[in-house]
Amino acid sequence: MSANFRRNLTGFAFVSPWLIGLGLLFVYPFAASLYWSFCRYDLLSPPEFIGTEHYQRLASEIATGEGFGKAIWNTGYFALLSVPLSIAIGVGLATMLSWNVRGQAVYRTLFFLPSVVPIVASSVLWIWLLDPRDGILNRFLQSVSLPSQLWFKGATEAMTPPDFLDFGSKDALVLMSLWGVGNFMVIYLAAMGDIPTQLYEAAELDGAGRVRKFWHVTVPTLSPVIFFNLVMGMIQSVQAFTQVYIVSEGTGEPASWSLMLSLHLFLSAFQDLDMGYASAMSWLLFVFLLVSTALLFRTSRHWVHYQGAGR
Amino acid sequence: MNSSRAVLFCLLLLSLGVVMALWTNRSDKRNVVPTDRREVVFWHFWGGEDRQIVEAVVDRFNASQEDHFVRAIAMPGNNLDMKLFMAVTGGDPPDVVNQDDPIMADWAERGALLPFDEIASPAEIESLQKWLVPASNRLGTYRGRLYALCNGMDIRALYYNKTILDQHGLQPPNSIAELDEIATATTEIKPNGRVERFGYLPDARRLWAWGVVFGGNFYDDKTREVTLASKPIQNALDWMVSYRDRHGAAQVAAFRQGDQSLPGKAFPLLAGRYTAVMDGQWRVRDIAASQAEQRRAGEAVTDYGVCPLPHPPAGRSRAGWVNGNFFLVPRGVKNREGAWEFMKFWTGFDGNEANAAQTCVAGGWIPVSTAVANHPTFLNYLQQEPLFATFSELAAAPDQVPTPVIPGAAYFQRTVNDAAATAMYVEDAPSVTTLLEEAASRIQAHVDRSASRGQP
Repeated sequence: MSANFRRNLTGFAFVSPWLIGLGLLFVYPFAASLYWSFCRYDLLSPPEFIGTEHYQRLASEIATGEGFGKAIWNTGYFALLSVPLSIAIGVGLATMLSWNVRGQAVYRTLFFLPSVVPIVASSVLWIWLLDPRDGILNRFLQSVSLPSQLWFKGATEAMTPPDFLDFGSKDALVLMSLWGVGNFMVIYLAAMGDIPTQLYEAAELDGAGRVRKFWHVTVPTLSPVIFFNLVMGMIQSVQAFTQVYIVSEGTGEPASWSLMLSLHLFLSAFQDLDMGYASAMSWLLFVFLLVSTALLFRTSRHWVHYQGAGR
Repeated sequence: MNSSRAVLFCLLLLSLGVVMALWTNRSDKRNVVPTDRREVVFWHFWGGEDRQIVEAVVDRFNASQEDHFVRAIAMPGNNLDMKLFMAVTGGDPPDVVNQDDPIMADWAERGALLPFDEIASPAEIESLQKWLVPASNRLGTYRGRLYALCNGMDIRALYYNKTILDQHGLQPPNSIAELDEIATATTEIKPNGRVERFGYLPDARRLWAWGVVFGGNFYDDKTREVTLASKPIQNALDWMVSYRDRHGAAQVAAFRQGDQSLPGKAFPLLAGRYTAVMDGQWRVRDIAASQAEQRRAGEAVTDYGVCPLPHPPAGRSRAGWVNGNFFLVPRGVKNREGAWEFMKFWTGFDGNEANAAQTCVAGGWIPVSTAVANHPTFLNYLQQEPLFATFSELAAAPDQVPTPVIPGAAYFQRTVNDAAATAMYVEDAPSVTTLLEEAASRIQAHVDRSASRGQP
C-alpha cells in the first residue's frame, strides 16, 4: 500500500461522516424521488412503476389551472411581487441607513430586528394586523378614507384585473414577506461600505447629484449583491411554506387562493399519501429553479458589474 | 474570578444539576413500566388541560391493571400523522394511537392498521358495534370492518343568543325558513353598510353539515360514486350562497372565515357578532365561563340556547356532520391485548361505563355509547350543563354523518371546502352546479386513484 493511497484513505476516513450523511440523507432521497416520480407510491406499499402518468397529470393540471396549475400561478404571483419589492425596499433602506445621521445604529437595529422574529410568531402577528374587521392596517386605511381590504381572507389579487387594488391573501403574504427584508438590507449595507469613495468623488467632480450617484455608482457596484439576493429570493419565494401553512391553517384558503407549490406538495405527499405525484412535482420545481437560475446567470453578464473585472 | 466566587459558581452549577436530576427522575417515574407488566405505548396529541385529563385516565387504567401498563406520549398534533407513518414503515409503531384526521381508510386500505376483528373475538366486536351509537360506528368502519374505535365525537348544533331572540319576539328555529327569518330580523347593519352583527351566516366549511341536513349524501358506498353534485347538496349550497348575494362576498369573507377557531371569549357568539352560529359541544364551557364572568361583574347575564340544526321541508331532522377522536392500532404492534384493554377502559365498553362517564365529564366530551351517556355520573353532569344535553342526544341520532370513510377522504374534504369557499367568498364565482360538478369530477378521479391498489 503506497504512502499516497494511505494518506488518501486517512483523508476519506476523516470526511466519511459527512460523506455518509451526504449519501444517505441527500443523494439517495434525491435519486429515489426521481424514480418515485414515475411510480405510484404511498410509503406503505412498494413503489409501482406507472411511467409518466404523474407528469401527464401535472401537465393537465397546468392546462386546466387546477391543483398544480393553481399552485404555480399563486407561487409565481407571490414571487414576482415579493422578490423585486424586497430588493427595492432592501436597497432603499440600506441607502437611507448608510447616511451619516444621528442614531444610525439604532435605526439599523430597528429595521433588522423583525427579521430575527421567528416566522411562526410573526405570522400570527400578521394575522391580527391584517384582520379585515379589527386589524390595525384596515383601521388606518379607514381613518384616511381608503377602502379596507380582506388581506388573508380575500380571494382576490390586487395586481390582476378585475380585482385591481383589492388586496387578497397572496398580496398579504407579499406584504408579510417584506417584514423580513432586514436580512437583505444588512447585506446591502455591508456591500455599500465596500464601495470606494473615489467613485463618488469622481462622480461629484463630474457634477452628479445624489440621484445620479445612486443610479450610476451605488446600483452598479451593488449589482453582484443584488444578483445574489435575486437568486436567493427567487428560490426562497418558490419554496415559501411556513407562513402560508400558518396563515391558511394548512389549507391554502380561501378556496386555494394561497395554495403555494410547497404546500400543495406537502399536502399531496403527507395527507393524500401520493408520494409519486409529489415527487414528480418536486422534480418539476427543481428543474424550473435550475433553468431560472441558469437564465439569471446568463442575463447577469449584461447588468452585473464586478469590481476589478477586466483588469 | 477569586476563589470564593469560583466556589459559589460551582455550588450553583451543582445545585442546578441536582434540581435537573430530581426533575428528570420525577418525570420519568410516571412512565416507568413495572417489570411484571407489559408496556402499552399510547400516542396522543392532547395538550394543556386535556393532557391532564388523558393522563388521569391513563393513571386510573394503570392502577386498575395487573397485566398491562400504558405509557402515554404526547406529541404535536400537526405532525402526528407523519411520525406515525415513519413509525409504521420503520416497524416500530405505538400500540395505540389517537387520531382525528380522516386518514383511517387510507391507512386501512394499505394494510397499515389492524382491523379490530384481529384484536378481539368476533363476539366481542359484534357486541361492541351494537354498543356504539351509529355515528361512532360510521367513523370507525371501512368496508364493513371496524378499524378505528371512536373515543369522543364532535357534534354540531345551532347555538343562539336567546336574549336577542326574546327582544325580537322570535323562537329558536325549527326550519330553514325560521333561521332565515332570524338572520333577517336580527342582523344589524350600520348606515355605512358595515354589518355589526349577523343574525346568521353560513360557514363555507359547514357544507358538510348543511348538505346532510338538506337530505344529501356526499358519497355512495355501494356504487363508489361521489355524489357531491346531487340536488340536495346543490340546494344546500344555493341556500348558503343566498347570504353572499344578500351581503356581498367581501362582507361575508371578512366576517365569517376564521371565526370558527376563535377560542374562549373571542367565540363570535359571545362577542355579540352573531345571533346564531353552528358550532360544537366544546362551546358549552365557553358560554358557562362567559356567563359566570357576567355574574361576577354584576352585569345582566346573556341567555344562550342550543338546538338541532333546522332543516328544509324535504330535509333531515336531527342531522349533521360528525367527526371525532378515534383509536387506531397500527399493524406490527407489540401488545395488541393491552391496547384493547386500554381502549375498552377509555370508551367504557365491557363494563367500564362508570370510568368512561367520569372521563367524558372531566373533558366535556360526548360519550360514544348511550350506555355511557345514561350513566348517573353523566346524567348528573347534563343537569349541571343543560346545553350539553342536546349534543348528547344528537350523538345518538341516525343521521349524524362523517366525511366519507374512504381512501382519499382528506382530499375529498379539502376539495369540497374549496368549492364551497369559492361559492361563498368569490364575487364572480361560477354557478353552484358548475362548482360542485367540477369538484365531484376531481374528487372521483382522486378517490379512484387512491383505492386502485389493494382490495377489489
